[in-house]
Order: sequence, then structure tokens, then C-alpha cells
Amino acid sequence: MLRKREAIKDVGRETSIFYMRCVIALIIVVGLMGFLLAREIKLQVLDHQKYQTQSENNRIQVRPIAPVRGLIYDQSGKLLAQNRSIFALEVVPEQVDDMGDTVKRLKEMFDISDEQIEAFLEQVKFRPKFNSYAIKTNLTEQEVAIFSANQHFFTGVSVEARLERYYPYGSTLVHVLGRMGAITEEDLIRMDEWDVENNREVGTTRQRYAATSKMGKLGLERYYENKLHGEVGSEKVETDARGRVVRVLERLEPETGQDLHLYLNLSLQQKITQLMQDKDVRGAVVAVEPSTGGVLAMVSQPAYDPNMFTGGISSKDYKKLLTPERPLYNRAVQGTYPPASTIKPHLAFLGLKEGVITPSTRIRDPGWFSLPNNNHRYRDWRPWGHGATVDVTQAIIESCDTFFYDLSVRLGINQIYEGMTQFGFGQKTGIDIVEEKVGIMPSRDWKKSMRKEPWYNGDTVNIGIGQGFWTVTPLQLANATAVLANDGIRYNLQLVKEFAQANRYEANTPVMAYHQIDTSDGSWLDLVKNSMRKVTEPPRGTARSAFADAEYTVAGKTGTAQVKSIAQDESYDASKIAEKFHDNALFIGYAPFEQPKVAVAVMMENAGGGGSNAAPLAREIMDFYLLQELKINQTSDTEDEESADGAAN
Amino acid sequence: MALRTSTANTHKARSSLLWRLHIDVPLLLGLLALMAFSLVVVYSAGGESLFLVEKQVIRFGAGLLVMFLLAQVAPRTLKEWAPLFFVVGIAFLLAVLFFGESSKGAQRWINIGIRFQPSEIMKLAVPIMVASYFADKALPPSFKHLLISLVLVLVPTSLIILQPDLGTSLLIAASGIFVIFFAGIRWRYMLGAALVGVIMAPIMWYFVMHDYQKGRVLTFLNPESDPLGSGYHIIQSQIAIGSGGIYGKGWLNGTQSQLEFLPERHTDFIFAVLGEEFGLIGIVALLALYLFVIWRGLYISLQGQDTFSRLLGAALTSTFFVYLFVNIGMVSGLLPVVGLPLPLISYGGTSIVTLMASFGILMSIQTHRRLHST
Repeated sequence: MLRKREAIKDVGRETSIFYMRCVIALIIVVGLMGFLLAREIKLQVLDHQKYQTQSENNRIQVRPIAPVRGLIYDQSGKLLAQNRSIFALEVVPEQVDDMGDTVKRLKEMFDISDEQIEAFLEQVKFRPKFNSYAIKTNLTEQEVAIFSANQHFFTGVSVEARLERYYPYGSTLVHVLGRMGAITEEDLIRMDEWDVENNREVGTTRQRYAATSKMGKLGLERYYENKLHGEVGSEKVETDARGRVVRVLERLEPETGQDLHLYLNLSLQQKITQLMQDKDVRGAVVAVEPSTGGVLAMVSQPAYDPNMFTGGISSKDYKKLLTPERPLYNRAVQGTYPPASTIKPHLAFLGLKEGVITPSTRIRDPGWFSLPNNNHRYRDWRPWGHGATVDVTQAIIESCDTFFYDLSVRLGINQIYEGMTQFGFGQKTGIDIVEEKVGIMPSRDWKKSMRKEPWYNGDTVNIGIGQGFWTVTPLQLANATAVLANDGIRYNLQLVKEFAQANRYEANTPVMAYHQIDTSDGSWLDLVKNSMRKVTEPPRGTARSAFADAEYTVAGKTGTAQVKSIAQDESYDASKIAEKFHDNALFIGYAPFEQPKVAVAVMMENAGGGGSNAAPLAREIMDFYLLQELKINQTSDTEDEESADGAAN
Repeated sequence: MALRTSTANTHKARSSLLWRLHIDVPLLLGLLALMAFSLVVVYSAGGESLFLVEKQVIRFGAGLLVMFLLAQVAPRTLKEWAPLFFVVGIAFLLAVLFFGESSKGAQRWINIGIRFQPSEIMKLAVPIMVASYFADKALPPSFKHLLISLVLVLVPTSLIILQPDLGTSLLIAASGIFVIFFAGIRWRYMLGAALVGVIMAPIMWYFVMHDYQKGRVLTFLNPESDPLGSGYHIIQSQIAIGSGGIYGKGWLNGTQSQLEFLPERHTDFIFAVLGEEFGLIGIVALLALYLFVIWRGLYISLQGQDTFSRLLGAALTSTFFVYLFVNIGMVSGLLPVVGLPLPLISYGGTSIVTLMASFGILMSIQTHRRLHST
């Protein structure tokens, strides 16, 4: 029985309705398929070019290839800076399933500091996941072997080799070669500035460094960055979605950077370093070849190993370098010290040349000097003086302060400033190191602008013995010494002798080749030089004991610089004052006297007297260089010279 | 008239062996052609891996077996068992919600000796249930019957939304609603339903959809907003299809897929591989094959001898179309990304077996007719 509300089934009507619905459904299906087809036609026919391009951009990448950095050699071709393959443990974050676990397991297997892990995770967080990031660099061969054996446990981790700068002589050359460091945001900005300065399109230099991660930060590495770097290459590669290279389509080889060949003599540099370390000396020694201005050795002690910076230095290690001894500080080029008595020969030459004294001018020496109408006594280092009267020769030999107090007042600061500038004081030596400081060659203008005070005569008196406001770098001292050895020619100091690229050599021609001091009016220079020679000889030379029985002749001058000013009624007593206020010991000299091969400036911080401390070091340096390196044999010459000299006196 | 001519044809066909095995030859040929196409594309998309191809062959074998077995079951039997089938399915869905196993943030699996997704059962159980409900009702359905049938659809759909599995629940809802459509639902009700849908949309957005689902919709609306994140899929698949052009880059030569720029390339995004390597020509061929299968499904349904067979056959065929439309629409950037495979082409998934089961039912409808006619 059907309930009355239930309609009766009408099979015919149902069939026709169903038939209609099927037709409608088919129409909808065909319509929607047409819609899909229209979409595909839009993608594949109308917009095909656009997607074709995008697909090519996806798969083809142009990658820069880093050039190989130029090498650095010493004068005899010994390799001082090279590129070494180092192995790094690298991770591609995208390929790692569980980063925390992977890092933990790597840490169990290798010695990775928390700092390194933190730095690594920081990179991973902010940079593309498909790139490779180093979690540990400088793997030892053993570590490489351990990882290779376990590689299958570490998906997305691999050992990669890359070229890194390596300095085989470590700390011995760090203050010459400098070191490399990661390219920073500031470096990139500076690159843009270079582009502007050189009228290049901004971005050219960045392009050149596209594949480079480090650049020279100090020393030669910095100065010659442009030449050492080389030219970037490129390759067109097909990569997959993870950035892995499937194949190389085109390759433009990078151009290796230029090699630097230095004037530097590695053996001499090592010898000086060794001597300074043995004596536990802080300070700097510069040895220059007078005939060229080439730097034979440039040592600053203490130093540090630049290889520590490869692959990033830990903050713990870096803190160790921030000691009061300041190993990071390049004393030879950045250290500015009072030249003390080492500049007396230069002042003597100036006095003779300007005619304020003659070779026979004698000055009364009671052991002190004072200005007219002033009872302040400028004391001589020898309290009882150097005899009743002193002439210029004796004043140089015995380093008589009183004579030079008097001379400086005769000259006046204006003439001193003019004359000493000729020797390169207060000016850059032109050394190929950006960090070079110029020290202070004081003048009236300098004092007025820097100290807001007028120049007093008392200031001039102090200048006479290389104290007061006057400061110089060891490089300037060495160069001023070479000027004397060169009869007035001042060369631009240079570390690099020539550049080489693919067997093409090119000489280093400094901007300012040389400067000639006017020595035409008289034999004043010879007088000064002969006096300097007697400094290293008996009976009275301040460096006579240091150079006793030398197998060659030496012209020299000692210096002892006060670091702390001593009050009027006090006398200097090393045992009573802190070590850092002890006198600086200085020595300048060149040898052989007749045909100078080397000019040396020695500057030892808080080491005491120049004659007793700096001169012996210079002796050992000259012995080594002249006798062992150059193998000069002067014994017979020396005798002749001595007799000739004796006759002249 | 149409019926008379087709009856004449069936008399000829009935004599064949395949007919006695309850196999519909045109449908089988259409399906086999799709499977062959699938193997060719899977080989390329899977990085020329024979391993994947072998596994796909095994799945197709299992699918054909299930199809064959279901083809032997008379529609009448299916209709009798429908309520039990449906209730068991609902029970499993509830069990999944309480005891199911999770993977990737969704609780879809249950383990009773074998591990399976009960929602797959519902893909068949829902249209079978609704069709059997309408089988002896007067059609077009009254409002009351309409409401009851809607409840039959919405209960399993809601349970699956809770898992959450939006893609499958939409498919299942569609399969049930198709039955109602073919039952002859009045147009005014459909209009009303559409209105309700418009009103429900914001409610769904704020109260039902999960963040990842909303994200997909947002990404769909503006894929460039997140080119390396979720927009990446859509951008890369469009590049793949578009760069294929008319003739395609050639088999195994699609750079987007071979160099792995295209994600999910052997599963949900396989259509993009096809489009890249075989071009517009390949896509037209695929759509033609699909259209043929759908035409054959509707043809079989039209010949169905009772209401149950007709409604079920037409609904299953239409659902098959929804599958391919949603997948191709998604890969081509017409629809948001929904995790649905391209039917019979994508690698893997239980969907192959479920789909083949529905084609088995269609074959059963086609080949069991004489039992009723005589």
C-alpha cells in the first residue's frame, strides 16, 4: 500500500529526465574540457615565448669563476705567499632533512666550536638554502678521511676543496705581506668608489669580485690587491632545481693575477726576526738597498701568524692578539717615535750647508745648554760635557747634545723644517703599504694648527736632539740613512721590484722615482759621512764596541730616545721607572762605507741606550747580510781605508 | 528508438567471451590506453626509473583485478548491500577520527591488519548509497527525499573534512550530489543550493578551513606573492606547460621536470610533465582519451535498466571528470592547489584501485542487463 503522500513512480518521465540530464552533463563536460584546452592553448601557444624564456632562465645560469691570486716571491724567487687547497666541510641546507641532528652528529665527529656552529646556522638562516656553506674549514687529511668513510650518514654534507692564501713563513712576513680578509659591505662600497674615481661604470669592480670571497686587508696584499686579484672568468652552466651543475655549456677562463717579486731578502728577514726574538725585543728594523730604495728587510716585532685568519679567526684567538705588546701593530710603517740623536748627522749637514756653522766652528760645552735670558738648562747626556769646546765632527762621533742644541737654535725651526723635509721626514717614503704613517716634522704652522700655540725657541732646542714634537717612522729613518749613503739621492722606498704575469715581467716604477738633495756647495756631506764612520770606530765612537773588529767599514749613528720627560733636577735611572717608560734604543747606519750595500735603521722600544743595545743588533744584521749573503771580503780594503783615514785626521 | 538499436547491438556482443566475463571492450580499451600513456610519462617524470614504472604496472594490475571482480557483481546485489557498505564506511571514518594514524598533519589512515584510508571506501559507498536510496522513490525527488539524500552525503563529507582532507571530501560530496542531479532535482532547488553555497563560503573560510588550505587559495589568487614557497609549484608547472609549446620538448627532454624544477612531478603535477614533453598535441590526445572514457560511461549509464544503475553509472562517470578537471585546472593555474592526482596517469595512490573499482561497476551495469531484460 502506497502512502498517499508518496508520488507514484513514472518510469517514462524518469527516463526522459535522466536522458536530458545526461545530455546536459555531457555538454558541461565538453564545455569544461574546452575551457581547459583554451587554458593550455593560452599557455602553450599564446604565451609560449614567455614561458620558454623563463624555462631557459631556470636551467641556465652564468656563474663567475674566481681567478687564482698572484703569488709573492722574495728577491731570489722563494715563495712567500701561495695558494693552498684547503678542505672544508660544507653543507647544502636544502638537502639536509634534520639540520639540528646533522650538526650534532658532525660535532661529535669533529672538533667544531659552538662559535663556528652559531656562525654557520646564522648564514643558513638568512641565505639561499640551495647554496653550500662551510661549517668547518681547514680540515686535516685525517679528518677528510674520517668524513669520507662516513659520508653516507650525512646527506647534504660534503668535503669541498678551495684555494686559500697560505703564508709559509707565517709571522716572519706578516708586517710586509699583510693578510687577507673576507670582503665586507664597506669593501663593496669602496669598490664602487674606485669605479667612480677611474671613470668606470659603477659595479664593474663588484663584477670582478663576483666569485671572490676575500681580499687583501693589509700590507702588500692590500696595496697590490688590484694586480694580485686577476680577472674573473665565467661559465654558462645548466643547473637543476637544487643548483647542482648538470653540465657546462660555455666557459670563459679567469685570468690569474700578477705575481709580485720583491726586493726583500728572505734570509735577512728571517735572521733579523730571529735576532729580535732572541733578545725579546719590541721594535722595528728596516734594511734598505741604498742604490735602489728597495727594501731588503722590514721587521716589526712582536708579530703574529696571518694563517690564523684563514677561514676566520675565533674571537678567543683574536683576543690573544690584543695584548699590551700589540703584535697587530706594524711598527716599521705605523710606529712613530722620536728619532733622538740619529738625525744629528742630517742636522749637521744642514748647518754646514746653510752656513750657520763651519767645520771649524767650536762650541763651548759645560754639559748643558741654555737659551739667552733663560736659566732652563738643556742637559747633555754626559753631565760633565764633551770637553771645553766641541766641533761638528766630534759632536757627531760622541753625539754631543750641547752642540746640537746650539746648532738648532742657529738654524731656527723654519730652516730645520725645510731641510729635514728634504730627507723625507714628515713625508711618506712611498713604500707600497697603504697603512704608512708620516710621523711629525714639526713647524710653526704645524704647532699653530695642531696645538693652537705659537712656536717657542725651547721647542727648537729639543728638535736639535730629535726629541720634542719630532716623530719619525723606522722606514723614514732607514730612508734618510740611505740618502746619506747615496750622496743625497732619495729614492722612493719599494718592496716590489717587478710584476710577473705568464712569464712577462714588468718593472715596478714608483710614482716619484727619486729626489736629489742639493749637495753642490762643498764637501759637507763627506764630512758628515766620515764623522758617522768614526761613530763605529775607536777611540770615541758611540758604537765603537758594537762594531769592534768588523770586517767591513760602517757609517752609523746611535740614538737614545727619552720616552718619559725627566724633570730638571732628576736623572734617568732605568731601575726606578716602569719598563714602558724606559728609553728607546736607536741606530742608523750603512755599510760598506765605500760602496754602500745596505742601510739599516734599528728601533727598539724601551731597550735602553742606542749604542749598547741597538748598535749590536745592527752589527749582527750587517755581518749576516754582507758576509753571509753578499759574501763581501773587505779585510784588505779596510786596512787601506784606515791608514788613509788616519792620514786625513 | 535509441534503446532498440542498442539492444540489437548487445545481442551481437553478448555472444563474445569478454561479454560473458562482464567486460566492456570500448571502456577497457580506453582505460588501457590511459594506462599506457601513464607508464610513458611516469618513466620520464620519475627520472627514467624503471622501478617506478614497475610499481605502477603492479598497481594497474591490482586495479584491473578489482575492476574485473566488481564487474561480476550484479548491480542488484550492490544495491542490496549498499546500506551495510555505507554504515561500515561511516564506522571506519569515526574510527579514524578517534584511533587513526596521522601523517603530515592529517589523520587519514586506519590499520586493521592492512593500512588503508576509509575515505577511499566512501568514494564508492556514498554514490551507491544515494543511488540505492533513490532507486525506488518517485523521481524527480520530493523535498523530503532531497533532504534525506543530502544528509547521506553531508555526514561522510563532514567526517572527512575533520581529518582534514578537503580534496577527498569535495570529491565525495560531488559524487553524492551528482546522483541527486541525475535523479532530476528541480532547477529551483539547485538555484537555492547555489545561494546557500554563496552564503556558506565565508563561514567555511572562517570556521572550517585550515590555515594551509586558506594559504593554498591565497597563493592561487596570487602565486607571485610567494615564488619560492607555496607559489613555486604553480609558477613552475605553468612554466613547464607553457615552455612545451605545440609539439613539446620531446620525451625525456623536459628541462623543467628532468632538472627537478617541477615539484611532485610524477604524482600530482604529472600533467605538467606531459604538457612540457608532448606539448599541446599530447594534451589534446589525453583530453580526447578522457572524453572517450566519459562518453562511454554516460552511454553505459543511459542504457542502464533500472534507476539505481543509471544514477550510479552517471554519477561515477561525472566524478571521474571532476578528478581530472580539478587536477588539470590546478596544474594549469586555473584552480587552487588541491592534493588530487591526475586520474589513471599520476603515479601511485590508492586512487587507482578506487577508480578502477568504479569502472568495474560501470562494466557490471553494462553487462548484467540481460538478466533483467529476459
